[in-house]
Amino acid sequence: MVLADLGRRINAAVNSLTSQSVVDQTALDAMLKEICTALLESDVNVRLVGQLRNSIRAKVASALNKEEKESGSNANAIKRLVQKTVFDELCELVEAHPTDEQFKPKKGRSNVIMFVGLQGAGKTTSCTKLAVYYQRRGLRVGLVCADTFRAGAFDQLKQNATKAKIPYYGSYTEPDPVKVSRDGVEKFKKEKFDLIIVDTSGRHRQEQELFAEMVQIGEAVKPDQTLMVLDASIGQAAEQQSKAFKEASNFGAIVLTKMDGHAKGGGAISAVAATNTPIAFIGTGEHVHDFETFSPKQFVSKLLGIGDIQGLMEH
Amino acid sequence: VASAASSSFGFLRNFLGGKTISPEDLQKALAAMENHLMKKNVAKEVAEHLCSTVDKSLVGSKTQNWTTVEATVRTAMTDALRRILTPNTSLDLLHEVQAARKSRQRPYVISVVGVNGVGKSTNLSKIGFWLLQNKYKVLIAACDTFRSGAVEQLKVHVRRLQELTQRLGTGEVQIFDEGYGKDAAVIAQRAIEYGQRNEFDVVLIDTAGRRHNDDRLMSSLEKFGQLANPDKIIMVGEALVGTDSVQQARNFNAAFGANRNLDFFLISKCDTVGDMIGSMVNMTYSTGIPVLFVGVGQNYTDLRTLSIDWAVNLLMS
Ligand SMILES: Nc1nc2c(ncn2[C@@H]2O[C@H](COP(=O)(O)OP(=O)(O)OP(=O)(O)O)[C@@H](O)[C@H]2O)c(=O)[nH]1
Ligand SMILES: Nc1nc2c(ncn2[C@@H]2O[C@H](COP(=O)(O)OP(=O)(O)OP(=O)(O)O)[C@@H](O)[C@H]2O)c(=O)[nH]1
Ligand SMILES: [Mg+2]
Ligand SMILES: [Mg+2]
Repeated sequence: MVLADLGRRINAAVNSLTSQSVVDQTALDAMLKEICTALLESDVNVRLVGQLRNSIRAKVASALNKEEKESGSNANAIKRLVQKTVFDELCELVEAHPTDEQFKPKKGRSNVIMFVGLQGAGKTTSCTKLAVYYQRRGLRVGLVCADTFRAGAFDQLKQNATKAKIPYYGSYTEPDPVKVSRDGVEKFKKEKFDLIIVDTSGRHRQEQELFAEMVQIGEAVKPDQTLMVLDASIGQAAEQQSKAFKEASNFGAIVLTKMDGHAKGGGAISAVAATNTPIAFIGTGEHVHDFETFSPKQFVSKLLGIGDIQGLMEH
Repeated sequence: VASAASSSFGFLRNFLGGKTISPEDLQKALAAMENHLMKKNVAKEVAEHLCSTVDKSLVGSKTQNWTTVEATVRTAMTDALRRILTPNTSLDLLHEVQAARKSRQRPYVISVVGVNGVGKSTNLSKIGFWLLQNKYKVLIAACDTFRSGAVEQLKVHVRRLQELTQRLGTGEVQIFDEGYGKDAAVIAQRAIEYGQRNEFDVVLIDTAGRRHNDDRLMSSLEKFGQLANPDKIIMVGEALVGTDSVQQARNFNAAFGANRNLDFFLISKCDTVGDMIGSMVNMTYSTGIPVLFVGVGQNYTDLRTLSIDWAVNLLMS
């Protein structure tokens, strides 16, 4: 839901604790209650919220005990500890804990990454961004356009790839995306490319045929990793859509685009929570270098409206 | 919290007909209603406003016989949503095109604007198809000179539309483009001149997607508005977007200068959100600009004029 509002509520809860002269268990519980309510109302997974609450309690417990014995001599240190713990735990929440280890393409074998996502999320743009990211790290990267549906999709990928000097594959005449993707991946594999990135059409869970097509493309190219691209401004539909994509494509990470916009990534928390899948990269603009690896800390500090997070980090 | 939220209206089941509505009862029902609306992707700010309208209209009044406070709130909210979504002016676009064609040389000019990837180009092509079905001669101007493939995308649409018109035997369509990199406002102007010389009825202008918080790109819209001087400026907003829709609508509505507003919204991708169609409420609430069209798919026929009954029913379901 409303991420700015969520941030404001969490901030208010933390501030109301830290403005008190004594910090005790009651005050801590009141703050936790407010934070958890705010998160729950933002559709964050109930289990995750429970974990967050317990974890904050546990991390603050011994300091709080000591504080109660020594009657308030360390109030400021405790306040900082609470702030930092809340911050860290929110980071945990956005970080997700996938059971599988995160995929990293390795040089010297043909790695395949497939992009999936809703219409207009930023897949085609992000494909080239990722290609450039790995090319700069010394991998030979090829792009395959398996979007045979959207008008001008191949031209878009081709122009992006040409500008970035990345080899590409696609077809103006073959209507079957399964065939194009298989051919493209085979070609680049034969030529011993290190990384082959497959772009696909936009789709949504309400159209089963589109999902079936995605599954077939996946079977044809056997991706080492599937990335779901998600627009940072997405609202309430994020959870259902990302769950459905997770079930059908088992994507291993999320690329969150348009983070340069005004939206702070509201749907992202729900998508991460609903699928227990981490965000790997964020897109921060339309140009090919507007691309960063994702840092939960940066995201959470934006969420909480903290420009300078130094105060929380050092101690 | 979750269970209270999932049965938004699940309390006060006992009938309280003829009862004076107390502030306490009302607050409870309104809180549930606000939650309900937010789940439909209505922004909190907008949901709060709607609830306070209902609050003001109901406090101290009586429930109808055999209805509950909850049902009374529902009825009042249905009315409030209907009021927000109902335009104050007539929206007969075809009629306006026709009238303009009779009274002047200049083609009727429609342009689309909006943030990145919402569906401007696709829905512009759908509008083109709709005009072609109504036998108009349509020029599509490729004024997104920035995004890779944007010009080719429209060329493909025009080629497909040409095939369709040949098959259907109605209308005529062409593309106007000057490639990439040039000033969109200047190309738009030239497209309109070309359209006038060649007796096109309508010129449809596509523009590049832009972030509503990018001052440089937003301010170029003012010049675009002046040079192209469109009869209608349509903002395309997507049903998928959350709270940001409020600010998107406000900023685009303000971008054309003091004397020019948006004319209407086209809400795309309504087929992707189920009943969570709140973003259209956010956009009309924050600007007073009505929704004319909704996009419900990726094909040319997936364009509808907004049915307010349909929208209100989904929002209240
Ligand atoms: N501001 C901004 N715009 C972006 C970003 N990523 C993509 N875009 C823009 O978003 C629009 C849609 O991007 P595409 O890459 O075409 O999206 P897609 O998911 O491939 O779209 P379909 O193939 O139609 O489903 C384009 O105008 C891109 O320039 C980003 O990080 N920031
Ligand atoms: N499901 C669905 N998809 C849509 C609808 N309208 C547009 N799309 C899809 O959304 C994606 C983006 O559409 P475009 O028309 O390229 O969007 P745009 O706003 O012109 O994008 P930029 O020019 O890059 O800013 C495409 O994959 C379209 O097929 C709709 O009503 N429903
Ligand atoms: Mg694409
Ligand atoms: Mg476009």
